[in-house]
Amino acid sequence: MKIITRKVDNQPLTIIVEYPKMDKEYERIIEKIKHMDVHFIGKMEDKSTRIDISDVYYFETVERKVFLYTRKDVFRFDGNMADLDEMTINTELVRVSRTCIMNTEHLKEIRQIKSSHLEAIMDNDEIIIVSRKYLKDIKNVFRRSSV
Amino acid sequence: MKKIFRDTCILASLMILIVFAFSIIWAGITQEIMLVFQLFGLAFMISIVNNIFDQITSLSIIYSYLVKYILVTSLVIMYGFIVGWFYRTNFWMAFIYVTIVFVLAYFLELSVTKKDIDYINEKIKKRRMQ
Repeated sequence: MKIITRKVDNQPLTIIVEYPKMDKEYERIIEKIKHMDVHFIGKMEDKSTRIDISDVYYFETVERKVFLYTRKDVFRFDGNMADLDEMTINTELVRVSRTCIMNTEHLKEIRQIKSSHLEAIMDNDEIIIVSRKYLKDIKNVFRRSSV
Repeated sequence: MKKIFRDTCILASLMILIVFAFSIIWAGITQEIMLVFQLFGLAFMISIVNNIFDQITSLSIIYSYLVKYILVTSLVIMYGFIVGWFYRTNFWMAFIYVTIVFVLAYFLELSVTKKDIDYINEKIKKRRMQ
């Protein structure tokens, strides 16, 4: 794979992918590039901040309010989990319980606690409770990434 | 292997249904034929209950199996009384049937969950090494 970069004035960032024949790997690369542009608007003390998808650790609903967690900060997100489910299709974000959508990019480990609960350990050592019925969805994110 | 096992079960179920459906033409609805269709009916109802339960709850493996055990056993007993499998003297047999299925399913799910976790952790490890 060759990477060619060039500076072009007064143009938005443009990525051109040249390929000999479309296959799963190229499709995956293109999907990844597309999703790099996905971002969310988080609010903290009346101030809005643009947060790139790769900076998101997880989304969580608490009393019908959605919160966006980054490595260190927590933002309020104006939207619901159904919107997020749609926005995060084919990304590294995946629903892990009824109240949480996690970014697998920051996942360090999954643990099973005493044959009952599942825990996701994030790379900032935060722990997220994972529901068993979503374990296959997490697995599918990794399976998709390795195609 | 899992796919082969699942496909075998689906194929066997279809074969049983088709063979028994055709048998009705020659032999009429015998007790054996009726039992097979009743079992399919029960399996259908248990699948619906199981599915709804998984959709609306988010319990740990142990609690989920305990609640499901109570639900399914009650369903089997009620269904058994309706179709005439159980009477007041023998309905306790439902507990034995359901327990055997549940113990097998529980250990199977534990092993599948462990395999999925190992797969994910392995992928994370590989990603970190890249």
